[in-house]
Amino acid sequence: MDARPDTNITPVSAAAPGSGGVGPLLELKGINKSYGPVQALTNLDFHINPNEIIALLGDNGAGKSTLIKLISGLVQPDSGTIMVNGKPTRLNSRRDSEQLGVETIYQDSALVDSMSITRNIFMGRELTNSLGFMQHRKMRQIASEVLQGVVNIRGIDSPDVLVGGLSGGQKQAVAIARAVYFNRKILLLDEPTSALSVRATEALLEYIKKLKEDGVSSVLVTHNLYHAYLVCDRFIVMSHGQKVCDVSRQETTIEELTRYVILE
Amino acid sequence: MKKLTPAFANKKMDGLEQGMIPNPEKKSWSRLLKGNSDLPMEILILFLLVQFICCLSSIIFPANFRYLSESNISVLLKAIPVLGIISLGIGLLMIAGEFDLSVGANYTFTGIVIATLVESGLSAFLAAPLGLALGVLIGLLNGFLTLRFRIPSFIATLATMLFWQGMTLLYHGATSIRFYPGDIFTNLMAGQIGLMETSFLWFVALSLVFWAVLHRHKFGNHILAVGGNKQAATAIGINPTRVKLAAFGLAGFCAALAGILAASRVGTIQPGQGAGIELRAIAACVVGGVALTGGRGTILGVFLGAGLIYTIEDILLLLRAPGFYLDIFIGILIAGAAIFNQLVRERMVR
Ligand SMILES: Nc1ncnc2c1ncn2[C@@H]1O[C@H](COP(=O)(O)OP(=O)(O)O)[C@@H](O)[C@H]1O
Ligand SMILES: [Mg+2]
Repeated sequence: MDARPDTNITPVSAAAPGSGGVGPLLELKGINKSYGPVQALTNLDFHINPNEIIALLGDNGAGKSTLIKLISGLVQPDSGTIMVNGKPTRLNSRRDSEQLGVETIYQDSALVDSMSITRNIFMGRELTNSLGFMQHRKMRQIASEVLQGVVNIRGIDSPDVLVGGLSGGQKQAVAIARAVYFNRKILLLDEPTSALSVRATEALLEYIKKLKEDGVSSVLVTHNLYHAYLVCDRFIVMSHGQKVCDVSRQETTIEELTRYVILE
Repeated sequence: MKKLTPAFANKKMDGLEQGMIPNPEKKSWSRLLKGNSDLPMEILILFLLVQFICCLSSIIFPANFRYLSESNISVLLKAIPVLGIISLGIGLLMIAGEFDLSVGANYTFTGIVIATLVESGLSAFLAAPLGLALGVLIGLLNGFLTLRFRIPSFIATLATMLFWQGMTLLYHGATSIRFYPGDIFTNLMAGQIGLMETSFLWFVALSLVFWAVLHRHKFGNHILAVGGNKQAATAIGINPTRVKLAAFGLAGFCAALAGILAASRVGTIQPGQGAGIELRAIAACVVGGVALTGGRGTILGVFLGAGLIYTIEDILLLLRAPGFYLDIFIGILIAGAAIFNQLVRERMVR
């Protein structure tokens, strides 16, 4: 992948210098973001710790997706700082967040239906020789292993299958497989389950938990409190661009969370 | 920048039985027919079938259907490359999700510019690269108009098609122009090696290059991604503007190269010669399995599509059928190919 001497972005790490080994992977401080007259985020503080799954809750228009896009580098804040490993960092593009170790998974996962699983997994990060020609055999072998590995996608026997023929759950599994293979440290999932069957949703939540054991932190945007409560360690409720609640699993109950989400 | 060490490799993969990994070399027949590989089976079968029937008929009726005669083979090999090369450029651009209706005008305009340069004393070996560069610029201009102002390329290139057609007349007038590039250049572009035409060899060579680019190079992967799902490609960090702009430039390059080949073969350029060739190139691509919506298509398909259109034209000529039959047949072929491709796709994504 291309070297970028102009930026000083280093992958997030739990043992960053200055963080004392226990600091957050990523920290947002006093973030403001507006779209014209619409204030999408107001003076928002947010952080992701190592080895945790965060639930991001709140009504439509609360600013959840905007926050996800900000960390993905797709949207830039009007003011406020993003700290990585204790250093202020600018995320100007998807490439920047990629270098950080961030992977985003959307409801309509960022996959191309008309391409094979292999080509999708390596899309934009192809393994190539020095002339840019793809090492197809190697990519295919890896894709094949990833399909059988941590995400273990049921019912797919070949990495040559076109993604368009997969179910919603299988597609998301491919997107997660992509994140796993590229050794991501932070997984952002923006309403990933809204198009999934019950079984596929359970499988997805299971992946997220498994990935936590491997040191991957996740932010799960969802409307389903029950799902969130199954896997998440910390719950953040947003309303009108502001954080109205930030509690750990030990400090709360599903009833209390329900009240927060409904009242706000 | 980073080491590609899968997080799971050390843990989960160790216990994995070798047998659980599907054999990468195993490709089932049905999978090939489902169209997921780089091999356009349908068009390949159709093409081979048509060739087989033609050859068989020619052997059975050598006096009436002279398909395998030397003169006919030479006519075919001469006719295919011009349309074929334009189709390669258009095909790649269509796979990237855009159109170029101005390739015919580009083909004529750059041809005439090269011819006037040669007429004024410049060596063809210098004029030709200049012409190719001009073709690329015209293609890039199309890309700029389309991408910068976010207008459909169909409209943008309709405008530039008319613009360059007009510019051709403004620059040279409505008369034809001679093209005498010298023997070496002519032999290189439109000579013969035995039965083989050098222009056809150029077409084959360019097809191989395009095949390598689309199916084996990462740029090709980006073209397929941008044409297939622009949002997904963007989200993953591919720059769709850059990819499409390059495809526009390549389409312009192909148009100019076709102009050089055609001019070398005939020795003159007619200001009206490019009219309609863009539609026939799009037809060749559609017959070859390129999706009008982008994201799908193969270079072999485009190659065979162009070949098939000329084979049918040739058959009708050999049968001394009036010219309008050609349009009727090509029309049926395009509709048939489009319907067939749609059916295959719907079954595939079911
Ligand atoms: N691209 C945009 N242009 C204008 N307004 C936007 C844009 N994206 C989001 N917004 C507005 O910002 C607010 C927050 O949106 P969003 O982050 O998508 O909320 P959520 O994901 O929580 O539903 C909403 O009022 C929405 O209308
Ligand atoms: Mg949202």
